[in-house]
Amino acid sequence: MKLTDFLIKLTKIDRRVIYLILAAVVILPLIFPTVERVRVMEPVEKLFNAVDTIPPHKALIIDFDYEPQTQPELEPMGIALLRHAFARHIKVLILSLYVQPLGLAQKALTQVTEEFNSEATSRADSIIYGRDYVFLGWQPPPLIPMLGMGVSITNVYQHDYYGNKTDTLEIMQGIKNYNDIALLVSLSGSSLPKSWVAYSQNRFGVAVAAGVTAVSAADFYQFYQTGQFTGLMTGMKGGAEYEEMVESKLGIKKKRKASEALPSLTYAHLVIIIFIIIGNIGYFIKRRSK
Amino acid sequence: MKRKFPLFLVFIFGILGIIPFLIPHPVVQNTDDFLRNNLLRILAAFALVLGLGSLLKVHMDKIKRKRQNWQYSWILIISFIISSIIGLFGGVAGTGPLPTSIGSFPFDIQTLYENIIVPLGSTMFALLAFFMASASYRAFRARSFEATLLLAASFIVMLGIIPFGDRISHHLPSLAQWIMNVPNVAGQRGILFGVALGTIATALKIILGIERAWLGGGE
Repeated sequence: MKLTDFLIKLTKIDRRVIYLILAAVVILPLIFPTVERVRVMEPVEKLFNAVDTIPPHKALIIDFDYEPQTQPELEPMGIALLRHAFARHIKVLILSLYVQPLGLAQKALTQVTEEFNSEATSRADSIIYGRDYVFLGWQPPPLIPMLGMGVSITNVYQHDYYGNKTDTLEIMQGIKNYNDIALLVSLSGSSLPKSWVAYSQNRFGVAVAAGVTAVSAADFYQFYQTGQFTGLMTGMKGGAEYEEMVESKLGIKKKRKASEALPSLTYAHLVIIIFIIIGNIGYFIKRRSK
Repeated sequence: MKRKFPLFLVFIFGILGIIPFLIPHPVVQNTDDFLRNNLLRILAAFALVLGLGSLLKVHMDKIKRKRQNWQYSWILIISFIISSIIGLFGGVAGTGPLPTSIGSFPFDIQTLYENIIVPLGSTMFALLAFFMASASYRAFRARSFEATLLLAASFIVMLGIIPFGDRISHHLPSLAQWIMNVPNVAGQRGILFGVALGTIATALKIILGIERAWLGGGE
């Protein structure tokens, strides 16, 4: 068989073969996980520094708004952010703008608090609900918390996710509205981070950052470029970069889900690139022979 | 009256939605606060009931008329009823009056969510990767100068966001970042301006009653 015939034949690979190869390169690295080190880029570094410099009298809001579909990319970001905030004893307010993400936010919170509390030696070291963090839950529609928290957080969220009256919680004693919030990070697979900018930042001036999926990243760079986003994490690599910062700067050595998923991501990208090259070689040979 | 009253409401509330962004006076801000925190929440609750009612109606109708794949509608209705009962009377984490565990087997909302919704959602989304790989192999061709440019940019971005790209060259991740920061932003910003102007124009048309498609197609 001539080389050209072989290359043309390659362009007609059955889609099931492509699926099989892709499945193998994605699954195998997940079965045998290794942590991939990454170079931290500026958008993630800026976000890390913004969280790191939150003063004790101010708080961090994390909007967990990812759903099961985008959980693999966005959950590691949430976990890394929580580890960072808890390690620095930054007050954290957690919320979701939709119902679906509540269960995932709860799962991430449970994981990180258990991590910290299993190593705590005193009450001061522990991460205590109501003192160090609060899970505000969900208030529909999204516009209400976005604008309402500019006036009063406890008015919008009169009860937390567990039914406690928010104004009785210790953490909320010094937190009234956006003036007491140093940074709001929106982790979302949708366009919600833009809405935080449009409603909360434009009107009340709160600093906003975002963690978004790789596929939607292109939509958000304009907000980062103008400074409307204090920092930006994009996709699995963004999460891995934040994990890298948390480990190298804070010395927290815990499971790094995004970093462990990077080999899968790398091989999948390389396979797709190789297939595109093969497809194009075949296309050029066919075009030349015509 | 049937058409004029909704148009009148949209006009009033459309204007009331704009004013608080322009006038910081406490009277205006407090009114806006009341409208958003009280009225909007009540409306949202009604919308939720209407939405669920509509969902059930559509699927009941599908079963009644035995439309294509009507059997799946039973699954939806049964799942809806079961999860509603568990959620309403059992509580999210099984703290309600209804028992939500049999021995050591829990079936509260959080457990159902983590074990059914999460795997289903993740599976559906994961399938996308396979279709994207197959589609890009068959359709991503350097047919013209623009297509070649797009292809080159996508290769740089794809390589730049994986650690392997950094090993090929330290400049590759920075180049990928530059593509996202400069050419991408230039294009996106143009689109965004267009979308924003279009949104303002449509909003004004709806507030002023020029655009009436939202009233429905009936008489």
